[in-house]
Amino acid sequence: MPFCDPPHPARRWRPRSALPILLGLLCTLAAAAGADPRPLTVVTWGGAYAQAQRAAVFDPFTRATGIPVKVVQYAGDPDSLRTRAAEEGWDVIDMLEPAAITGCEAGLLRRLDHAAILGDLRAARRDFAPARLRPCSVPQNVFATVMAYDDRAFPGVKPTRIEHFFDTARFPGKRAIQKTPDVILEWAMLAEGVPPAQVYDLLSTDRGLRLALRRLEDLRGHIVWWEEAGAPARLLAAGEAVMASGYNGRFFAAARDGAPLSVVWDGRLIGYEVWAIPAASDQPAAARRFLRYATRPAPMARLAERIPYGPARDSALERIGLSPETGIPMRDHLPNAPQHGPRKLVADSEWYSHTRSLRARRFREWLDAGG
Amino acid sequence: MHGRGIWEILPRMSALAHAPSDPRPAGPAYRAAVLTLVALGVGALASLAAIGLTDAVLWLNDALLISPRTRVQIEGRDHLVQLATVAVPAAGGLLVAALLRLAAPEGRPLGPPDVIRAVQFERPLPSLQGGMASTLAAMISLGFGASVGQYGPMVYLGAMLGGLVRRLRLRVPNLPSIAVACGVAAAISTAFNAPIAGLVFAHEVVLRHWSTQSFAPTTVAAAIGYVFANVIFQRPALFLVKFEGVQHGYEFALFAVLGLLAAALAIAFMRLLLWVAAQAPRSGIPALLRPAAAGLAVGLTALWLPDVLGIGKEVLRFATIEGAFGAGELAVLVAAKLALTALCIGFGFAGGVFSPALLIGILSGAFFWTMLDSTGLATSGVAVYAICGMMALTSPVIGAPLATILIVFELTRNYDITIAAMVAVVFSNILAHRVFGRSLFDVQLARRGADLSAGRDRARLTALRVRDYVMADAPVARIDAVTPAALRRRLAASDWTEGYVTDAEGRFRGVLRADAAATGWDEALHAPALQFHEDTTVMEALQALRGFLGEAVPVVHRGDGRLIGVVSESAVIAAYLDVSTALRREENAVL
Repeated sequence: MPFCDPPHPARRWRPRSALPILLGLLCTLAAAAGADPRPLTVVTWGGAYAQAQRAAVFDPFTRATGIPVKVVQYAGDPDSLRTRAAEEGWDVIDMLEPAAITGCEAGLLRRLDHAAILGDLRAARRDFAPARLRPCSVPQNVFATVMAYDDRAFPGVKPTRIEHFFDTARFPGKRAIQKTPDVILEWAMLAEGVPPAQVYDLLSTDRGLRLALRRLEDLRGHIVWWEEAGAPARLLAAGEAVMASGYNGRFFAAARDGAPLSVVWDGRLIGYEVWAIPAASDQPAAARRFLRYATRPAPMARLAERIPYGPARDSALERIGLSPETGIPMRDHLPNAPQHGPRKLVADSEWYSHTRSLRARRFREWLDAGG
Repeated sequence: MHGRGIWEILPRMSALAHAPSDPRPAGPAYRAAVLTLVALGVGALASLAAIGLTDAVLWLNDALLISPRTRVQIEGRDHLVQLATVAVPAAGGLLVAALLRLAAPEGRPLGPPDVIRAVQFERPLPSLQGGMASTLAAMISLGFGASVGQYGPMVYLGAMLGGLVRRLRLRVPNLPSIAVACGVAAAISTAFNAPIAGLVFAHEVVLRHWSTQSFAPTTVAAAIGYVFANVIFQRPALFLVKFEGVQHGYEFALFAVLGLLAAALAIAFMRLLLWVAAQAPRSGIPALLRPAAAGLAVGLTALWLPDVLGIGKEVLRFATIEGAFGAGELAVLVAAKLALTALCIGFGFAGGVFSPALLIGILSGAFFWTMLDSTGLATSGVAVYAICGMMALTSPVIGAPLATILIVFELTRNYDITIAAMVAVVFSNILAHRVFGRSLFDVQLARRGADLSAGRDRARLTALRVRDYVMADAPVARIDAVTPAALRRRLAASDWTEGYVTDAEGRFRGVLRADAAATGWDEALHAPALQFHEDTTVMEALQALRGFLGEAVPVVHRGDGRLIGVVSESAVIAAYLDVSTALRREENAVL
C-alpha cells in the first residue's frame, strides 16, 4: 500500500482535504486487521543506541506501517555482511559510512535509488550536506569519537586536550582504546600538532603512519583494548581505565546514569552513521520503505533527543528538543554543537574504506612488535 | 641643397619617448572612484583566479595519482602507482611544451620578472594570449607533479587581470601600474591567506615605492583577497604551528647563523636555476621534449623519494615535526629538490620558484636543527628552526624580506616565531643581496637588459636610448652637396656653432666649426669631441656629458658609420628630468 507511506517532507505536502486523514485511518485499520506481515530484520549496534532507535524509529515505523521490526545486533564489521546476512535474513543495516563504502564496492549492499527514497534530490543533497548520498547508503546520524576520563582519577589538573591522552607522565593510568587503527592514528597526528585539515594527507604517507605509531608507542603498556561500543564507559566506571576513547552517545548515556566521567571534545572525530540494504535481503521493498521512513527529519530528531547523535539532515536540527526521559536539552550534547571547541576532524569515509587493509597491517605489526 | 635630405629619413621618435601620458588629468572624485572600483574589481577577479588555480591543481593531483591521499587509496595495485609516478610528470612535460609552442607568442612561460618589468618601465604586460597559455601551462605543470611552484603563476595571473585595466584608458595617472599591483596583492593575499603580506609584496617586489595613491587601492585589493579566501571560501590558515616561544637567548644567534647558511643555499639554488636554464639548449634534447625529460627525472626520483613530487605540502608539515626525517633523509631531499626544481624550470616547465624555495628552506632548517640537537644543545624545538630556514631561504629568492616576515606572521599567526624568522631573514638577505643580487627575478631581468639593481631612475634612464632624442633641425650637410664656406654661412645665420657633415652615403665624416678658416673639407673637418651610438643610453650619455662643453653630439651607427642624428645636451638633460619628474610624481602621488 504505497499511499500508506507518510508524505515526504521534501515535497512540501500540505493536507488540503480530509482525504489523507481518511487514508491514514484506513492504513492503520489495514495494518491492524491484515494478515501478520513478515518482520523486517534491522541490524544495528545494540545497547543504549539500539534502545533509542527502538523508541525513535522502529516502534513508530511499525505503528505507521504495520511492519514489525526484528532487531539483530552486530559489531560493525562489514565482513558480517558476507558471513551472517543471508543466514539471518538481514533486510536493513545500520553501518559506519566507511564500512558501507567497502560493502558497496564488494557488492554486498544494494544500490539505492535516492530519488525514490528522498524525493527531490537537489533539495535532499542540500539538506544532507556535508554528508553525501553514496550509491548504497543514506546518512542517518552524526556521531563523534571522543575521549572521556574518570573524574575520580584526576581531582586536580584535568585533561583537556587530545595531547593529554598520550601524556602518561602528567596523567598516569590505563587508556581504553578500541582495538582498531581507526581514530587513534588520527589522534596521534593531532597530538603531534598537525591541523585537522592535514591529518589524512599526512596519514596517507608512510612517514605519517610511522609518526602516528611512534606516538602510540608512548602508550604501550598503558592500554586496555576494547571492541564493543559499550565497553569504554564500563571500563571507566569500573576503574580499569582512567581515560578512554568511545562514542559520545555512549558516554552521555553512562554519565546520565550516574557514571563519574567527563567528555573532552577537543580532537573529536566526527563520523556518519548510514542506513543500507544488504544485497541478501529477501524483502527489499519493505526495506526501502523503512529507509523512506527512517530518513525523514522527524525520526532523526527523535533519535537525537534520546541519544546525542546529531541528525544528518539540517532540517531535523531545529526539531530537536528536550530529552523525553531526563528533560536535558539535547542540542548541547550533539557532536556538532558549537561550544565544543574548534579542533575537530571529520572522518574521510572513502579514505577509511580504501586504506582499511593497509592500516590494519601496520597496526597488527605494531601490536606484534610489542610482544 | 644641404643636408636636410638625409634628416628627413631619420626616425622621429623623440616625441614618443617622453610625451606626457595624460593630456587631460581627471578630477579627484573621478580618480578616487576609478581607483576604488579597480581595486575591488581586480582584487575580486585575481582572488577568484588564485582559488580556481589552486583547486584545479589539487583536482589534477588527485585525478592523476600525484597526491599521497589518492595514491594510498589504491594500495595493492603498486604497478599503477609506479606507472603514474613515472608517466604523469613526463606526459605533463609534453603537454606544457606543446602548449607553449602553439599558444604562447613569447614561447616561454611568463612570471614575476615580466610583471616587474612592465610596471617599472611603464609598459604593457606581454600578450594576454601568452599570459593565458602560461597560466594553463603552469596549471598542467603543477597538476602533473612537476617540481615547480604555484605562487609565481598566481602572481602573474593576478597581474594579467590587473593589466587589462590599461586597455580601458581611464585617464588616471599611474593607473596601469596600480591595477597590476592590485592583482598581485590580491593573488598573494588569497594564496597565503595573508593580506598584509600581499600588499607589502606588491610594493616591495612590483611597485618598489610607497605612495598613498598606490597604497590605498593595493590594500583594498589585498583585503578583498582575504575576504574571498577567508570569509566566503573559509580557507584555513596554511601553516598553523604550535610554538610556545624561544626558550634560550642564544638561539637568536643561531637563527642568524641559520640565516647566513640559508643565504648560501639560496645563492646556490638561484645560480643552479640560471645555469641549468642557460645549459638547456646545449643538452642535445630538442626543446619540445625538454620538459618531458625533466618530468621523467622527477618521476624516476619519486619512485624511491616520493616526497619530491608536486608542491609537497605534506613535506612542509612533516619538517616541523621532530623526528619525521633523519638527518640523512633531509640532506638527500634538499639536494634532490634543488636539482629537480632547477631542472624542471630550466627545461621549460611553467611554474614558480617560491614554493620550491619554501620547501628547500624548511628542510634545511630542519636539518640545521637536527645537527644542533645531536650536539646536545638545548633548543626550542624543530618547528622554529624549520620555519626560520624556510623564510631565510625564500626571502633572497623573491627579494622581499618584509613581505616574507609578514607571511610568516600571517601563516603561523605566531608572534614568537615571526620574531625569530625576522632575524634569520635579514641576515640571509644581506648576504645574498651582496653576493648574488636583490632577487632571482632582478638578476633574470638584468640578464634581459633591465637592470634594477641601482634604482628605478637609473633603470629607466638605461632603458632610454639617446637616438630617440635627436633633433629635427640640426645643421647636417652632405659633403658633395655643399662647400665648407656655404655651411659656415648657414651656421652664422643660425644659433649653431657646429655643422655635422656626412658623405654621399650618409656616413659621418666630422664636424665643421663655424669659426674654422680652412676652405677644403679635409682641413676644415674635425673629429667631434664626443660621439654617441645607436645603443647609447640616456644614462651613459649623462655620464659622458659631464665636463662636455659643446652644444650637441652626433649619434653615429656603430656598424656602417652612418649619422643617425644629432642630440643636444639639453635634450639629454630634459630626458633625465622627465624621468625623475615622472618617478617623483608617481612616488608622491596622493590620489
